[in-house]
Amino acid sequence: MSMLAGLGVLEIADGMTDVGGRMLAELGADVAVVLPETQANRTRRLAWHHGKTIISPDDPDAIRALAAKADVVLDGQREGDRFGLGEVVSDDTIYIRVSPFSTNGPYAGRPATDLTLFALSGLMHVTGDPKRPPLKFPGQQAYALSGIQAATAALLGLQARRRTGKGQRADLSAFQSAVLSNYREALMYEWTGRIGRRHGNLLVRGKSGVRQVWPCKDGYVTWSMIDNPSMMRAVVSVLEEKGAAGELSQIDWDNTLVADTPQETIERWQAIIADFFASHTREELGAWSLKTGWGLSVIYSPQDVRDSEHLKARGLFVEVVDEETGATASVPGPLFHSAVMDAPRRTLSRPVPASGFTGWEG
Amino acid sequence: MGALDGLKIADFSWVGAGPRATKDLADNGATVIKIESRKRLDLGRMSPPFAGNPKDVDGSAFFAQTNTSKQSVTINLSDPRGIEIAKKLVAWADVVVENFGAGFMERIGLGHQALKEIKPNIILASVSVAGRTGPMAGFRGYGNSAAAHSGHAWLTGEAGSPPQMPPLAYGDVVAPMFLTVAILAALEHRARTGEGQHIDVSQIEPMVHVIADLYAQDEVEKTGNDDGDFIVHGVFPALGEDQWIAIAVENDVQAQALKRELGIANLDREAISTATSAHDKFSLFDRLAAAGVPAGPVLDGKNVLENPELAAAGHFVKLDHPVMGASNMPAPPYVLHGTPGKVERAPCLGEHNREVLIDMLGLDANHIETLISEGSLA
Repeated sequence: MSMLAGLGVLEIADGMTDVGGRMLAELGADVAVVLPETQANRTRRLAWHHGKTIISPDDPDAIRALAAKADVVLDGQREGDRFGLGEVVSDDTIYIRVSPFSTNGPYAGRPATDLTLFALSGLMHVTGDPKRPPLKFPGQQAYALSGIQAATAALLGLQARRRTGKGQRADLSAFQSAVLSNYREALMYEWTGRIGRRHGNLLVRGKSGVRQVWPCKDGYVTWSMIDNPSMMRAVVSVLEEKGAAGELSQIDWDNTLVADTPQETIERWQAIIADFFASHTREELGAWSLKTGWGLSVIYSPQDVRDSEHLKARGLFVEVVDEETGATASVPGPLFHSAVMDAPRRTLSRPVPASGFTGWEG
Repeated sequence: MGALDGLKIADFSWVGAGPRATKDLADNGATVIKIESRKRLDLGRMSPPFAGNPKDVDGSAFFAQTNTSKQSVTINLSDPRGIEIAKKLVAWADVVVENFGAGFMERIGLGHQALKEIKPNIILASVSVAGRTGPMAGFRGYGNSAAAHSGHAWLTGEAGSPPQMPPLAYGDVVAPMFLTVAILAALEHRARTGEGQHIDVSQIEPMVHVIADLYAQDEVEKTGNDDGDFIVHGVFPALGEDQWIAIAVENDVQAQALKRELGIANLDREAISTATSAHDKFSLFDRLAAAGVPAGPVLDGKNVLENPELAAAGHFVKLDHPVMGASNMPAPPYVLHGTPGKVERAPCLGEHNREVLIDMLGLDANHIETLISEGSLA
């Protein structure tokens, strides 16, 4: 069986709950979702709403009736409560209202999207090149973060209901969800007075900056010259073996603080590393890292991720079918590994009129 | 009252990926006993920024914000007598959480099978870079490994640009959120069936999940800040050095409002940039919001800490700490009105040894004092 089998969830989706509803569906809940009037593109629908029952809101009273009998309502409407759900949810229901901002603060009621919420998170300011505009992370991370928090709040409500016998209401701020993910910037300012800046792919610590991304023979790897003597010795040892260590052989890594080393010296050392990485493949570098503890990772392209033997063995990607069009897509399925999980439906359902929805029976 | 009052967690996790999940549980009322050691310090206790002396194990603000509402006991897990005490905590707990390297829990006699023998319905929650199965099981990563292995780094930035690493260990943020969900789902399963289980969360997989919409595309492309579903979707300069505002226009009504507010005829990037660069990012945010246009100033760390919306929402809770003094700690981004929970300060190292081991578990006080003095509980 699945962990949440039989749990009736009504989701009113508009970005901020999409991932949360998807997580509950993956865990076995019976999620009925109402999509926004202006629907997201097909790939987003496939990614976030497969495994749910898509409900067309033919009758607002029918939506309200579903809300009244749901175990959980995930209400992610960004532009107000178009169905009047707040008035009809029962005392037994766990009603998670997700809004861009708090309900009573100075930003309450302001319009927002994933991009504008991510800009407010403090993460965009420090992402990208210093001479170019700040960058967002790929996809829609502010929505993803609020969605995961929505699933968390729903499951917390479920735990509380087991103990108290009562449902409850919760308010969740997508802005706060995004800010919570930024564990560095506000903290650094509070304790050091320093405001973080964009450094491209430089990792700046102390007086110097070290590279994080390196071209190699057939792609890119990520590795940094940090203050970890055993790691540095492991790297230099392979370079020595290949006759490529140069002056790196002479350095006493136990008594060298990279963070306090002049930038021009670091550049000289990094040039040796860069030449070595550029003349070897990702596979070679990854194998050395695994064997001797370099802390290097190969930077995978999306196709590499799909082709990963490791992720295949873990069964991460699953085929999903769009019932309406027959189109398929390969997207991540299981959230984690557990011996007690069954695979849920791998389809994007045809819309079912709210007035005709017969789920959650029995 | 918290949603998880009465829930008992034996938390062996350290640094970020485990502790952020157990913070979620602790802030919502669970009793979380953090098992740590002076012999093998949680690296989080040595992570900046520090309130004062970097060598003070109780002075890391990084550690404090990651471990709110928990209690700390020190147990030397390389000492068999320490392991025996750890087993007492397992017997007490509903959930055991760990993020050690592969095989460590088994080597010290606390693998899943051993835990089940102590408590048959225990939930063991593990989080690691690549998970506990598959060819990469046991892969030891640092910081941003999950960003590299998931496609995140490759997909960040403008088309044709090299990969861009995130500015923080984002995998250490997303994976613990999945771990929290997994633990709560496993608790529901146990409530229904009486069964515990072993949950295996990989840091790479959640990082793939949160970009599932990109993986659903036939050809995955990097698009910088662009999004083809929007009329306008970008970051534009504002008044001042390195000041920016994000604007996203979803429909014609918003498009007309943006033109009106900026006094421009066309929504091309240059026209918008020229107009926005004359305005303070916050006042422009106010104006565009009032006109119904989604916008957001690009906040820096100072802006976040001083943000009036976050202050009104109680996002940062000011807590007194014996070493750090009054410090801002992040609260959950939700309020459960029936069971709101409470954020409390992070523990000092071993602060609750006697309270937990003697008062709570009822172990012999003389025995515990002996183990403390002989380094088994250190």
